[in-house]
Amino acid sequence: MLDSAVSSRLAALLPPEAWLTADEDTRAYECDGLTLYRTRPAAVALPETEAQVVAILRQCHQARIPVVARGAGTGLSGGATPDAGGVLLSLAKFRRILAIDPESQTAVVQPGVRNLAISEAAAAHGLYYAPDPSSQIACTIGGNVAENAGGVHCLKYGLTVHNVRRVRGVLIDGSTVEFGGDALDAPGYDLLALINGSEGLLAVITEVTVKLTPKPLLAQVALASFDDVGRAGLAVSAVIGAGIVPAGLEMMDRAATRAVEAFVHANYPLDAQAILLVESDGTPEEVAAEMAEIKRVLAASGATAIRVSTDEKERLLLWSGRKAAFPAVGRIAADYICMDGTIPRRTLPQVLARIDEFSHRFGLACANVFHAGDGNLHPLIMFDANVAEEAERAEAFGAAILELCIEVGGTITGEHGVGIEKIRQMCTQFRPDELTSFLGVKAAFDEHGLLNPGKAVPTLHRCAEFGKMHVHRGALPHPELPRF
Amino acid sequence: MPPTLSARGVRPDARALADVVTRLTQDYGERAATTRAIRDQHSHGEGMADAALPDVVVFPQSNDEVAAIVRLCHAARVPVIPFGVGTSLEGHVAALYGGVCLDLSQMTQVLEVNAADLDCRVQAGVTREQLDAELKGTGLFFPIDPGANATLGGMAATRASGTNAVRYGTMRENVLGLTVVTAEGRVIRTGGRARKSSAGYDLTRLIVGAEGTLGVITEIQLRLYGVPEAISAAVCQFADLEGAVDAVILAMQHGIPVARIELLDDVQMDACIRYSKLDEFAVLPTLFFEFHGSAAAVAEQAGQMQAIAAAHGGSAFRWATRPEDRNRLWKARHAAYYAGMALLPGRQGFATDACVPISRLADCIVETKADIAITGLTAPIVGHVGDGNFHLVILFDPTDPAERAAAEGLAHRVSLRAIRMGGTCTGEHGIGTHKLDVLALEHGDAVETMRTIKRALDPHNIMNPGKTVPL
Repeated sequence: MLDSAVSSRLAALLPPEAWLTADEDTRAYECDGLTLYRTRPAAVALPETEAQVVAILRQCHQARIPVVARGAGTGLSGGATPDAGGVLLSLAKFRRILAIDPESQTAVVQPGVRNLAISEAAAAHGLYYAPDPSSQIACTIGGNVAENAGGVHCLKYGLTVHNVRRVRGVLIDGSTVEFGGDALDAPGYDLLALINGSEGLLAVITEVTVKLTPKPLLAQVALASFDDVGRAGLAVSAVIGAGIVPAGLEMMDRAATRAVEAFVHANYPLDAQAILLVESDGTPEEVAAEMAEIKRVLAASGATAIRVSTDEKERLLLWSGRKAAFPAVGRIAADYICMDGTIPRRTLPQVLARIDEFSHRFGLACANVFHAGDGNLHPLIMFDANVAEEAERAEAFGAAILELCIEVGGTITGEHGVGIEKIRQMCTQFRPDELTSFLGVKAAFDEHGLLNPGKAVPTLHRCAEFGKMHVHRGALPHPELPRF
Repeated sequence: MPPTLSARGVRPDARALADVVTRLTQDYGERAATTRAIRDQHSHGEGMADAALPDVVVFPQSNDEVAAIVRLCHAARVPVIPFGVGTSLEGHVAALYGGVCLDLSQMTQVLEVNAADLDCRVQAGVTREQLDAELKGTGLFFPIDPGANATLGGMAATRASGTNAVRYGTMRENVLGLTVVTAEGRVIRTGGRARKSSAGYDLTRLIVGAEGTLGVITEIQLRLYGVPEAISAAVCQFADLEGAVDAVILAMQHGIPVARIELLDDVQMDACIRYSKLDEFAVLPTLFFEFHGSAAAVAEQAGQMQAIAAAHGGSAFRWATRPEDRNRLWKARHAAYYAGMALLPGRQGFATDACVPISRLADCIVETKADIAITGLTAPIVGHVGDGNFHLVILFDPTDPAERAAAEGLAHRVSLRAIRMGGTCTGEHGIGTHKLDVLALEHGDAVETMRTIKRALDPHNIMNPGKTVPL
C-alpha cells in the first residue's frame, strides 16, 4: 500500500480515470504472460504524455516507490509482473504513430503502438518493420525494445536491437534521455544497445524510432521432411554453412507436426520424424536462385521430400502450422511447460538426441518446435498436473534441458527474457565478476533499484528448472495470440 | 576551433607510479619498456598528432597478465591505455595523463574458427589482415575492413566500420562476445556463441565502441560469413557530385543489397589515380561498387544499379570480376587516406567522419564541398556513402597556425553540419580526444548517462582517461 500522502500527490498528477487503486481496477494488471506469478500493484498509472511520465517518476523517485512499466502484457518471463508496494505504469495510451519517413526508411512511434501496426502503416510506402515476434498482433514496440524481441524473421533481419535507431526514455529521476540517433552510428557509449533488452530496469521508454525495411517482392517457403531428427538438425547447419541466410529457418519434430495437423490442417507430412520450414525472400530472380540452392542443400542433407510453396496462400498455410504449434499442443496435453534456450547451431543433433533420452527417462512426451536457424529451442514438455508427481517430473525434465543448453555453450533464454522467471538461476551462466558489472550498470541508471525491482539482473547459482510457461488444460494466457 | 570540453583525468602520484613501473619491469623484463623511443612510438595514433607519452609500455601475452597489470594500476590509481597498432585517427591512444600503455600486439592467436557456426574467437592483437590470411581456404571471411590494418581489439574498441558496412554492418553487428578486463582487473566474458540471448544487459555492445574507457578488450568472438558464390566489382564515373550521391540514395531506397558503395570525389580520385596508378580513370566524382551473391543475384543487382546510375549521368560500368582486378580496386580505395596525404607531401591530414541520414547525404556533401572551396584547403572526400558516412582528409601545414586553425574550423563545421542534419560527427572513427565537445552537442542528456556509467564501471578513472566521455 502506498502512503496516503504520497498516493494523493501521485493521483494529483493525472486525471482521475488514469489513476487506479481499487482492487477491481488493478486486478487486470496483476500478471503478464507469465501467469504463475500474480501480484496486485498498489496503484496503476495510465499517463498519456511524456510530461506525466516524468512527473510520476520524479515523485516515485523522491518517495522511493518502485515502478514497473508495462506495454501490452504479452511478455512470458514476468517482466511486467507488478510490485506489491509500487506503481504499475502502463504505456497503453501512447498509441500514436508520429511520423513515417519513406526516404530515410524510418518511423517514429510511441511505445504503446503495436508491432504489427507499424508494418500496416508503412505498407503504403512498400516498407515494413522486420522483427516479428509471434505475438506481433498484440505486443507493443516499447515492450519489444525492453525485451529485445526476436521472431521468425530475425535470422535474416536481426533482433529488435538491429532495427531500432533511436529511443527516447525517462530515467527514474525524471530526466529525459535520447539513446542512439537518426544516423547509422551514434558516437559514445552504445546506450541504445544497453536499453534494448534491459527489461524495464534502466528507463521508461516514451518514443522509438524504428528502421523500416523494403518489402521483398516475393517470398517462398520450402517444407522439407526428414526421417531422422538428428539429420534435420545437420541440415540446418548445412544450409547456414552453405552461406545461405534464409528469411526464416524453423524446425518441428513429429510430436509437434502431429499436434498441429489435427488442429490447423497445414498439410504437413505426418510420417516425417522432423520437418524444416525454410523461407527465401527478395526479387523473383534472387528467390529462384536461393531456393534452388536451398533445395540442393536439403536434398544433399537427406531430406526425403521437399515441397516449395507455389503461391502466397500456400506459403501462409505452411506457416500457419508453425505459428499454431503451441495452442495445438495445448489441445492434446492437459498441461505443458515451454522452455526457451539457445544453443550453438552445430550442437542441434546432439541436443535433440539428449532431449529424446530425457523424454524416456522422465516418462513424459515432449514436442519440439524452434527457431532452428538461431539455435533457439522451445521444447514443450507435456504432462498432467492431476497425476501425482508428474508436475515435478516435468520440472526436472525442463531443468535437465536448460542445464544441457549451458553445457553445450548456449544460454538459458533465447528471446523471452529473464524477468522473475529465471532470475535466481542466471548465475550458472554468469560468474560473480560478470554480475558485478551488470549491477554497476544498473546502479549507474537507478541507484536505489526502483525501476522493475527484483527482475532480470541475476544473482546466484543454479540455472535450470526455471525457464518455463505452465499451461493448464490448454488455458494459454492470451489464447488468441500465435506464440513463439 | 579547438575542443572546449575535455574528459578530465589526473596524473598519478609520482611515488605510486614509480612503484608500478619498477614492479612491471621486474615482472615483465624486456616486455616492459621505458625507453624514450618505444614510449614515443606509443604516444600517438595516426591523424592529428596530439602526442602524450606513457611512462611505461608493457606487452602482455595473456588475459591473466592483462588482469594482473590492471589490478596493479587500479590499486595505485595509475592510468591504463590499451594500444593495438596505433592506427586510430582521433587521439585514442595518447597517454594524456601518463601511466601504463598496454600494447596488446603480442596477443595474436586465432583461438578458434568454427566453420559450422560461422564464428571465430581471436585475441585482441590479431590484425585484420592476419585474420584474412587465417581464413583463406576456409570459404569464410570477416567483412569489417577499415582502411588501416588495425587490430581487431582496436576495431572493437572504436566500433570500426569499413566499406562493407552497408551490407554486413559495423563491429556493433559483428562482435558476438568479448573477454574484457574491467577497471578493477576482473576478467569477464560477455555475450557468447549463441546467436540470441536475452540474458542480462548487453555489455558486449556497451564495451564495443567504449574506446578502452570501460575496460581492456583481450578476446573477441566474431561473426563470420561464407564467401559469396559470385562477386563483381564495378566503377562508375559521374559528371557531377550530386549525380553520384543521388544515385546512391536511390539505390538504398530501392533496397538493392549492394555489398559496397564507395564515393570518391574528383580530388580524391585524382589522388588515387596518382598513388595507386589507376590510369584508366578520369578525374571525376566516382562510385566503386561491389555486388555479392549467387551469379543470378549479382547480375540482377548490377543491372538495377546500372540503370539508376545511368539516369543520374553515370558512365558505363567498368567491371572487375577477376579477384586480382577487384583487389587492385579495393586496395586503391583502402589506400585513399595515404593517397590523399601524398597530394601535398609534408602536410598533415585531419580526417573528419560525418554520418547523416541517407536522405540528407546529398545536401551535406554539397554544402561541405562548397565550404572546402571557401577555405582554399585541399581536402579530398571519400565515403561509405551507402551508410551516409563520408570523410574529408583535410591537409594542412602543421607549422602554420593559421592553416591549422582553418583546418580545425572546417572539420568542426563538418561535424556541426552533420549534427544539424540529424546525423553524427563520428560514423566510425570514434570520439577520442578530438570530438568531446561535439559529443555533448549531439547527445545532450545522454552524455550525463554515459558519464554515470563511466563512473560506475571505472570509479577511479584509470581506464584511458581523458577520452570519449566528458567528465
